[in-house]
Order: sequence, then C-alpha cells, then structure tokens
Amino acid sequence: MSKILEAPRAGALAAPAHRPFRPAAFFERESVFSWLMLTPPLLFLLAFLGYPFIYGVYLSFFQKEVARAATYVGFGNFVKLNNDPIFWQAVRNTIIFTGVATIFKATGGLGMALVMNQAFKMKSFVRAMLLLPFIVPTVLSTVAWQWILDPGMGLFNRLLMVSGLAERGPSWLGTPTMAMISIIMVNTWRGLPFFGISILAGLQTIPVDLHESATIDGAGTWGRFRYVTLPSLMPVILIVTVFSIVITFFDFQLVYVLTGGGPANSTHLMATYAYSLSMGAGQMGLGSAVALSMVPVLGLLLVALTFFVRKD
Amino acid sequence: MVGELTWQKRLLGLWLPLSGFLVVALFPFTWMAATSLKTNAELYDPKASPLSIHHPSLVHYIDLLKETNFLVWVGNTMLVAAIATGISLLLGSMLAYPLARMRFRGGSLLAVAVAITYLIPQTLLFVPMADLIGRMRLGNTLTAVMLTYPTLLVPFIAWLLMGYFKTVPKELEEQAMIDGASRWRAMTRIILPLCLPGFLSAGIFAFTLSQNEFLYALLFLTKSSVRTVPIGVVGELIRGDAFYWGQLMAGALLGSIPVALIYSFFVKYYVAGLTAGAVKG
Amino acid sequence: MAKPAQSKATRRDFLKLAAAGSAGVAAGPFISRNAQAKPVQITFARESSYVKNFDVHFQNVMAPAYEKATGIKIEYQIQAAGGSAVPQLVSMVENKNGADLAWVQQEWLYRDALVDVSDIAEEVGKQQGGWYDEIKRLSIDKGKWKSVPNGNIGQLMNYRRDWFDEVGAKHFPETWDEFLEVGTKLKAKGHPFGMSMGHGFADNYSWLYPLLWSYGVTVMDKDGKKVALDSSETAKAVEYVKKLYKDACIDDCIGWLDPANNKAFLTGQISCTNNAYSIMVSAKRDLPEMGKVIDHGLNPKGPTGQRYHALVPVTHGVFAYSKDPQAAKDFLRWMMDPKQYRPWIASGDMYFAPYLHAFDKAPEWDIEPRVKPFQKVLETGKLTSWPAPANRQHGEVINRWIVIDMFTKAITGTPTKNAIAEAVAQIKTIYG
Repeated sequence: MSKILEAPRAGALAAPAHRPFRPAAFFERESVFSWLMLTPPLLFLLAFLGYPFIYGVYLSFFQKEVARAATYVGFGNFVKLNNDPIFWQAVRNTIIFTGVATIFKATGGLGMALVMNQAFKMKSFVRAMLLLPFIVPTVLSTVAWQWILDPGMGLFNRLLMVSGLAERGPSWLGTPTMAMISIIMVNTWRGLPFFGISILAGLQTIPVDLHESATIDGAGTWGRFRYVTLPSLMPVILIVTVFSIVITFFDFQLVYVLTGGGPANSTHLMATYAYSLSMGAGQMGLGSAVALSMVPVLGLLLVALTFFVRKD
Repeated sequence: MVGELTWQKRLLGLWLPLSGFLVVALFPFTWMAATSLKTNAELYDPKASPLSIHHPSLVHYIDLLKETNFLVWVGNTMLVAAIATGISLLLGSMLAYPLARMRFRGGSLLAVAVAITYLIPQTLLFVPMADLIGRMRLGNTLTAVMLTYPTLLVPFIAWLLMGYFKTVPKELEEQAMIDGASRWRAMTRIILPLCLPGFLSAGIFAFTLSQNEFLYALLFLTKSSVRTVPIGVVGELIRGDAFYWGQLMAGALLGSIPVALIYSFFVKYYVAGLTAGAVKG
Repeated sequence: MAKPAQSKATRRDFLKLAAAGSAGVAAGPFISRNAQAKPVQITFARESSYVKNFDVHFQNVMAPAYEKATGIKIEYQIQAAGGSAVPQLVSMVENKNGADLAWVQQEWLYRDALVDVSDIAEEVGKQQGGWYDEIKRLSIDKGKWKSVPNGNIGQLMNYRRDWFDEVGAKHFPETWDEFLEVGTKLKAKGHPFGMSMGHGFADNYSWLYPLLWSYGVTVMDKDGKKVALDSSETAKAVEYVKKLYKDACIDDCIGWLDPANNKAFLTGQISCTNNAYSIMVSAKRDLPEMGKVIDHGLNPKGPTGQRYHALVPVTHGVFAYSKDPQAAKDFLRWMMDPKQYRPWIASGDMYFAPYLHAFDKAPEWDIEPRVKPFQKVLETGKLTSWPAPANRQHGEVINRWIVIDMFTKAITGTPTKNAIAEAVAQIKTIYG
C-alpha cells in the first residue's frame, strides 16, 4: 500500500507506481468530485429518459401496431405524414396555438408584474390568489371551462347577454376559428400567472438607483420603463418565455379534454394527434413519428425566437 | 416608487388593473364554487344565473367524500408529489452543482445535453415508458409515477438550481477549503444552506407539476385505490356521457386547497428563488 | 405488506423491489404482487356504466357471490369513460400486464392477443336463443370467437315531445326530409336540434353513419377492399347534412364531444339529439318536468326507404397474457349464465341490450315504455364498419374521424366535392 505521507516527487511523470494514491485527495479533485456527483442523476436519466427516448425514436422507424410485431419501414412513417393533411394541420395549429398564447401570456404577465410591483396590503395573499389558475389541476379547470364556454348556459355568454353586448353569445367551441381562440384563451388563463410571478421576481431585483438616475436624467415613466425596466427584465422574460414555449408546444391535456381536436381537426395539436394515432388507431410507430417531428418544429420555433430577439 | 402618488394614479396604476387580473384569474373558480354548491336541478335550469345559488346544498361534497375514493386520491397525489419532488430535488441538485460551480472536462457539453433533454415531448415517451413500467411490473403502483415524474422534473429543476448555485461566490468555498474543509463539507455546510430559497422555489414548482400530471397517471394507475386526483376525479365522476358536474367541481376545489395553502406559505421563497435563478443565472 | 409471493420470487425480483424501494416506500399499494401459484384474484376491467346501479350490482352482488362459490376474488377495475379505456387496454396488451378480462373496446386492435372463447359463446348462444348475426362480425375472427358479446348500448333520437307537438309533429319524423322540416320549424321557434358532429365516439357516429347507409352509401364495400364512399349519393347526403345544420341545428354542435349533447338537452337548449337513454334518466332524476316529455324515436328512413342504427357493442375478452386464462374464462362463463346475466342486465335497466334473441320479448323491456324502442335498435343495427369487416383499418378511419370531418368540413366551407374527395383519399391511404 502506498505510504500516505510520502509526497509525490516533483516531475515524476514517468513513474506512476511511485505516486501514492491518497483517496481523500483523489476525491477532492474537481473532475472526480463532479463526475461522482453527476453519476446517480445521469444514470437515472439514462435509464428513465434516455432509454425511452431512444426506444421512441426507434419506434418511429417501424410500423408497430398493437399486439403485432414491429416491421421496419425506414422513413415510411415520415413519408406518410408528409402526405397527411391532418398532420400538417396539426403542425400549423400547434405553431399558431403556441405562438399566440405565448405572446398573450408574456404581455399579460408583464402587465401583471408591473401592477404587482407596488406596495399594498395583503400582497402575499393576492399573489397566491393570482397563482390559482396555475395550481388547480389542468384537467379539472378545463372541464369547468367546457361549461363556462357553453353558448347558452355558460358564464361568458351569460355575461355578454346580460350586459347587452351581444344578443346571443358566440359558439365558443363550435367553429374552427372560435375553437382555436378558445383553446388559446384557456391556455393563456392558465399560464399567465406563471409569467406574472416570474417577471415580478425579476422586477424586484432591479436596483432602485437605476430608476433614480434615469429620473434625474429626465426620463418619464415610459422612458424609465423602456430604458431601465425592460432591458433589465429581458433575461428573465426570455428564460420564462422559452420554458413556456416548450411546455405549451407539447401541451396535450387541454385539447384532449376540451375539444378532442375538433371541430374538423381545427384544434388538433401534434401532441393530441400523436396520442390518437398511437392509442386510438393503435399505430404506435406512426404516433411516435408525429411525436418525434415535434422536436425539429419546436427547434425551428426557438431559433426564430432568437432571431427576433437579436434584432432588438 | 418615484413620482407623486395621487389617489387617481393609485387607482389607475394599481387598483383597477389589479382587480382586472384578479377577476380574470378567479372567475372560473367562482363558477366552480357555485356549481359545487348547487343542486343538479338548479344547475341545469336555463333561466338561472350561472353564479347564483338559490338552494345551496352540500350534497356534492358529501357524495364526493362518501361515495368515491376522493380522500384516498388526495393522499396519493400528495404522497406522489412529495416523493417525486424529493427525488427530483436530490437528483437535480446533484446534476446542477457540478455543472454550475466546478470546472471539468465535458462540463459545458453536459450542461447543453441536460438543457436539450427539455425538448423531449412526453408524447414521444409515453409508449416506451409504459413498456418500461410494465416490464418492471410496476403497473398500478404509485412507485411507477414516483419514478417517472422526476423524468419530467429533473431537467428543469437542474437548470433552475444551476442558475441559483452560480450566484454563490466561489470565494466562500475556497475560503472554507483553505480552512481545512473538504469539498463535500464546503458544499453541504456552507453553499447549499445559502441556496435554500432556490430549493424551495424549485420544490414548489415541481410539486405543482407533479400533482397536475395526467398522461402517465392515466396509463399507469388504473385501479381506483392508487389513482391521483386528476385521474380519479375524471375517471369516476364521468360515467358514460354524463358528467357529475357538481362533484367534479367539488373535487377540483378540494383538490386545489392543499397546494394553494402550501403556496401561500412559501410564495415569497418561490419568488426569491426564481429571482436569483432566472435573473443572475 | 411487502412479502413477495412464495415460489416465484427470484433474486432479480428482490433487487427490483429494492430499487423501487429507493423511493422510500415498500408496502401495500406500492408494490404489485408477483405471480402466484394458484389464482386468487381475477381483474376485470370495464368502462364505467352510465347506470351506476349496473356497476354496483356487479361489485356488491356478483363479485362476492363468485368469491363465495370459488374462493377467487374478483377485482373490478372501472375505467374512465370518454376515450381513456382504449389507451389503457392498448397499454395492457403491449406490456402483457394488466387485467385478465375486459370490455375489449375496439377489439380489432388486439384480437391476436385474445384467447379463443368459442366454447363459451357457442354455449351461451345455444342456451339463450341465438346471437344476432351482426355482432358475430365483430366477435368472430377467422372462425373463432375472440370475445363474448355482453350487450348493446342503444342510440336513438332523444326528443322533446312537447316541443314537437307544438309544431305539429305528432309522431317522430319517418324520413330524413320530414326530420329536416320539423327541425327547421323548431329552430325558428328557438328550439333547434343538436346533432353531435365533433370528435366524440358515439353520438356522432350513431346518426351520421346510419344516415349515409339510408342514402345507400357505405364507406367500404362488403369485403373491405374497395372504398365505396365516392358515389353520387354521398354528395346528396352531405348536402342534406349541410342544410340540416344551417336550418335546424344549434351552431355549437359541430364541435360536440359525447357529453355535450346531454348538457345541451338538459339545459333546454335543444329539442332533439342522438344519444343513449342517459338523457332521460338524468332528466327523470334531476328535472322531473322535463323527464315527463322526453321520448325516443328511431332513426329516420332515407331515400332507399330503409332506416338503420349504429351498434355500440360491449364485448368481453380474455387476454392471452393472463396468468390463468382458464380461470378468467370460467368466470366469463359464469357471468353469462342466465342466473347471473339476467339480473345483471336488469339492474342496468336494459341500458345494455343483450345480443341474444331470448331477450327480445323480455318483460324487463316493458318496465319503462320509452326504453322499449332500444330493443328495436338490434333489428336494424349495424356495426360502424358495415358491411366491411371490423378490422384495424376501419378502426383507424373511426379514430381519425375521417368521415365525420368530411361532413363538418363541408359545413364550414369546403366544397362538398372536395370534402368527399379528401376523405376518400385518406381512406384509400389507410386501407392501402
């Protein structure tokens, strides 16, 4: 065994046998410590995320029907999808849904954050209340929205009719356009508080002296917002937006409960289409192909976002 | 706030928009509450106003608690969320700490890889995941979801914590090591405790996502006694084509209370954690 | 208690348990039981019944009775309605792990994984008056019975007799043209029809397909090889539905999932829809005044002079992956024995109509006269794949709502010709 107290000879590169192995020092090395610490989570992710991911990708190159063996079809599934109008409609729907909802959530969230960034009583309570749409299980609030959007009985149309704004409220889930508006609306309702609270957090870190010096330089409220607040907030807004885009793009529950993808596939998202192909039609290879296609489309969307931001 | 604070300004700048946001956020809940307290006859009455209750009744709450496994579902949901959150925090911090604070070969590549795992849709994974769970014979066990939820949570938590860990100055660690502490001690005794808000923030977020999850629970938990609230409520309160609206809404409200309570206690940590993680990260 | 079962426990299983136990729990509902030497439990999965009593009767009367007689415990797994049963079944079959016996919805997906139950089905058929021919086309695959039909969920026109009387319709319309006439009058009076045309699974198919059939159109030919949807009669049917929507229906209905028409009917927004008799039951319970004026009518006749109905079958199958398929089969046989079967069906108030002729004149049908028409459904009822085989391709057409969307696309602006052509093209791709 190595003599622990023997220091390594200077310049002893070619004689590893003489270098004593000191366990304590070994584990102190940054790389060793790091890799040891990384191993358990990496193993977990490889097992539970990596393996299913590879299997999922693998499946998309096969025709796999339920209770039957898989047969290799190469890019066959993707060719089928390319010629499938429902698939392209789902892609369009997903992009529109994600894009519009994110814009609403970001601007609404910014507004909410600015408003909340003032001192008033019961602020914590109000903050918790505003987060409720985010807290309540999506499935359940969406089920409630089914009724709220009911043309005759629903809250929305009742209010419209009572306030005299409309004789008969619109059919929220009954036309392709309105149905898309409705799912965007419900998604915005659910996600806005997350944006709001996160941006609020960002707002609260902007040093007050930045505001003060801007005012001294003659900036008004709008000027302060434009030159102090907004730039300081950009990192937060960006990060929350990216996170939200990813989650919204993959959204499944909302459409599944509210419209099933209808009417006439006008609200079918890539996630719901993948699900109905795999689990409804039993075409698991094709469904996986749709799911896999989500990744490049999302990637393109994110790249577009970065260009948009760079331009600023 | 800089500037003169007249009451008009306060009204326009604060109270009006704030009430606006509150109304938008909360009006569905008023409807849900009203529905849970109305009898079916009143609910279906086309002439009645959606928010008025003429004959309030607790019948839906009673039926929900008596005739379904609702309390069991709440228990399951809380347990699963707690454990999945715990696992995710543990694994997430083990992932985040080295990536945020240590320099080693492959570090930046790994950080990018972790970020990319984000972009994997659940709909790509659920078929293979069901196969994996089936092979491990974990179907219809809470363990199935306790193990699979972290796959949804760990990437985000790791990223959030990375930002937070980066904010603690390296000098603290170096000083501690000069004073004789090992890396492990420096980490556990000095750095991590400073990051408590970050943990709380990530934890609350993970908890919310866990108790909200639907797809895996739908596929893996088919027995009533192991269901979570979203699946149980939707599964047993929708019979054929009839929705038991009153009970559904009662379930939705009751199911949200525990989490809402947690939020109201911890929301300031949640905000603080996001601050550091997001802004300085 | 985490005691693994006796002989089958292996080291690997212990390790798996330990790994799973890393979550910190190792007891009770958290670890599933390993294989047992003798079956002490059979799991039976079935979508929840609209008539709760039906499930209650099973859980409180039948399951205990079987346990008493054989010592085998029956676990009744109620699956959520609204489309999640099939994903769960698919998951079970793919993972070869799950219920032993189930209501095998869309059984074409996993016929290969079902056990041959011809002995049970033949016996039951002989004993109870013989099977209706149409259901055999679902349960029999390559000459063998893969499932035993348990009952049909009848779908008929649910309508408000009082409002129909007001516009002079003393009897329910006999033809689709009369149907349109009555609907137009009713919509003018603020009581439109609500015909589901969204991405549901029952209330859309139950009238749109019979409508097509009554126009002499079918989706595929008898052998299921050639697409038969592209005919001039299809265009007539689509034009009819467009007119029906515009003149007689509520706007919302093209997006309706299955529960939506119940809600609309019960809130007094529509005067007629196609549904099972759940609306009447809800009304009788919660809105007695409305309950008195609801009635059921048969689907109208088309230009061919025929009327059709769509069957919504409940069939039970045994999975080959089951640890003891024979035990599951024995239970199935016991379940279908008249001593058990008759009271069970009666507990559901005939919501599930047996496909057996012995029940044609059963006295249970007369308890509520408005339920009796549901027995007639069996006479003209067809599987949605009719006349083609009920196979995977048919399933794909159904789950992608290709024919349903043909109608709704035409309603929302696509020229009829194109809507039909697109549907035909998609079906051709599916059938290959």
